Amino acid sequence: MPKHISRLLLLIAVLSVAGLAARWYFTAESFYQYGHYRGKAVVEVAAQEPVYQTARYCQSCHAERHAQWSANNHKTVNCEVCHGAAKGHPANGKLPIPADTRKLCTLCHEQMAERPRTQPQIDLAQHSSGQQCVVCHNPHSPKLAGVVAKVAGDAAAGANKHAASCASCHGADGISSNEAWPDLAGQHAAYLVRILGAYKSGAQIDIMMSSVAKTLSDGEIQDLAAYYAGLSCRSAPAKTRLGDPAAGMALAKNCAACHGETGVAGNPAWPSIAGQPSGYLVNALKAFRAGLRKDPTMAGVVRSLSDTDIANLATYYSAQSCRAAAQERK
Amino acid sequence: MKREAVSALLARRAFLRKIGGAAATCAGVGVAAGAAGLAQKALAKSEPAAGRGPVPGYDWSRHRWAFGVDATKCIGCLRCVEACKKENDVPGDAHHFRTWVERYVYLEGEERARIDSQQDPVNIAASGSEKEYRFANRYKDARVEKAFFVPKLCNHCTHPACVQVCPVGATYKTEDGAVLIDHNYCIGCRYCVQACPYGARFFNEEKNVSDKCTWCYHRITKGLQPACVDACPVGARVFGDRNDAQSPISLFIRNNRVQVLKPETGNAPNVFYVGIDREVS
Repeated sequence: MPKHISRLLLLIAVLSVAGLAARWYFTAESFYQYGHYRGKAVVEVAAQEPVYQTARYCQSCHAERHAQWSANNHKTVNCEVCHGAAKGHPANGKLPIPADTRKLCTLCHEQMAERPRTQPQIDLAQHSSGQQCVVCHNPHSPKLAGVVAKVAGDAAAGANKHAASCASCHGADGISSNEAWPDLAGQHAAYLVRILGAYKSGAQIDIMMSSVAKTLSDGEIQDLAAYYAGLSCRSAPAKTRLGDPAAGMALAKNCAACHGETGVAGNPAWPSIAGQPSGYLVNALKAFRAGLRKDPTMAGVVRSLSDTDIANLATYYSAQSCRAAAQERK
Repeated sequence: MKREAVSALLARRAFLRKIGGAAATCAGVGVAAGAAGLAQKALAKSEPAAGRGPVPGYDWSRHRWAFGVDATKCIGCLRCVEACKKENDVPGDAHHFRTWVERYVYLEGEERARIDSQQDPVNIAASGSEKEYRFANRYKDARVEKAFFVPKLCNHCTHPACVQVCPVGATYKTEDGAVLIDHNYCIGCRYCVQACPYGARFFNEEKNVSDKCTWCYHRITKGLQPACVDACPVGARVFGDRNDAQSPISLFIRNNRVQVLKPETGNAPNVFYVGIDREVS
């Protein structure tokens, strides 16, 4: 072979080896394994640890809360949307309970033309007069029980039933003879239908009322509600002042959204509490606080009330006129 | 021979030597690359069929991921944006988003939509911080004719322009449909940021690499949903496997008349939209 040819071949061979070596040296490991990229890069991306742990993770410890949440309207809002990502919880401490619910809840519920109509929305200026949302709404079961029951009863039939079954405690004209029992005269019929239905079904339990309500038919409940709603109410004269009505008035701001400013509820789904015996009001509030009476809204409201607060509130409301302010003016 | 002629001959020989050397190098490298490529292809083929793909315990050949957005459901709460930022450690300012939400508002008598997103200064003022996200109620007193929100994210295109332009192979399409970035290999040239017709990519100055939505690849390979889908309270975001005819995304595509953004670019997006309007692109 001529010298210059062999030289050329040698040169090609040397450069090929150098090229291969350079390629081996400069190409990253696992490059071209699956394509024009590092196969290992996929593993690196997939190895990232999830930060949001999903509701199932929360359920393993907070089963009761999870059950309530998953049965109600907010079940599509995952735990971590409001409480923050659960990675590192519980080892690294508690997750926050949102403090400013007016800011948080309105992220979804502030009225905006851009939002779909099906989304429940509130006008911030008109709704709740600056109170925190959780005062009335339980975030895990946000819908208020304020569904207005239909009332189509016969008041005359209700009068007979009243005389037979109820008058002994609640008074001949719906005004109780005892501090511990509520006046029924003038109460909203829709509320009475709901609460009697709850006693009847066992959703609400009371040592006296449960047994009575179980004997009532749905028709009789309707009749009774119509009868009581038609009676004129009368505020019981306060026998003893349990607390300070001025302090009660300040606290009553938290109740006004549902029960009205002076205890006369604007919405018939909720009871009027103005002029009710203060002893009854104290018992009812304490029963809510202890969980003996079950209502998601009331449970949230009374949670932070002390015995003194309850006494003050009861004193304030029992001293109010049971007629609506508008009727008074007439 | 004259002296000048000899030196010219020598110069030509030297020149040819150089050219020859360069050619040989090229040939050598080419042959080598070809051989190595063949060898590696053979290696890939020889892998067992079960559990295929690089991620242990996850067979990427069995999935074909896709995403759906129902703009008629979106309430603009921006919980998806918040979840994405936290899940993926996206820089916490108003300029870096892997997913975002746009607001389109047509006022009465106006032809063109007014468009803003959570990074608009008015919306930052409403949230109180660049790390919190909230749409300001800025059209409260305006006469709004039509308005809606549109969530946006990387379209994980079938023919991604960003992958085509990457000079180093740092971004790629996986077999199950995600377009990912190799943060250890990216040289930060930002060609891909320029190439994406959807503005889905951004430059992460903290890591000096391009960054974008991965469909939470670390979650979907573990059987979870992307963080934004989990966070959405109204089901405006849908994710699933198109290989499964009963998956949320298959039902979404089958039961709705869906469209993709900018189909004319030929990228063939895999995020399918319902309820968007003429100005959304």
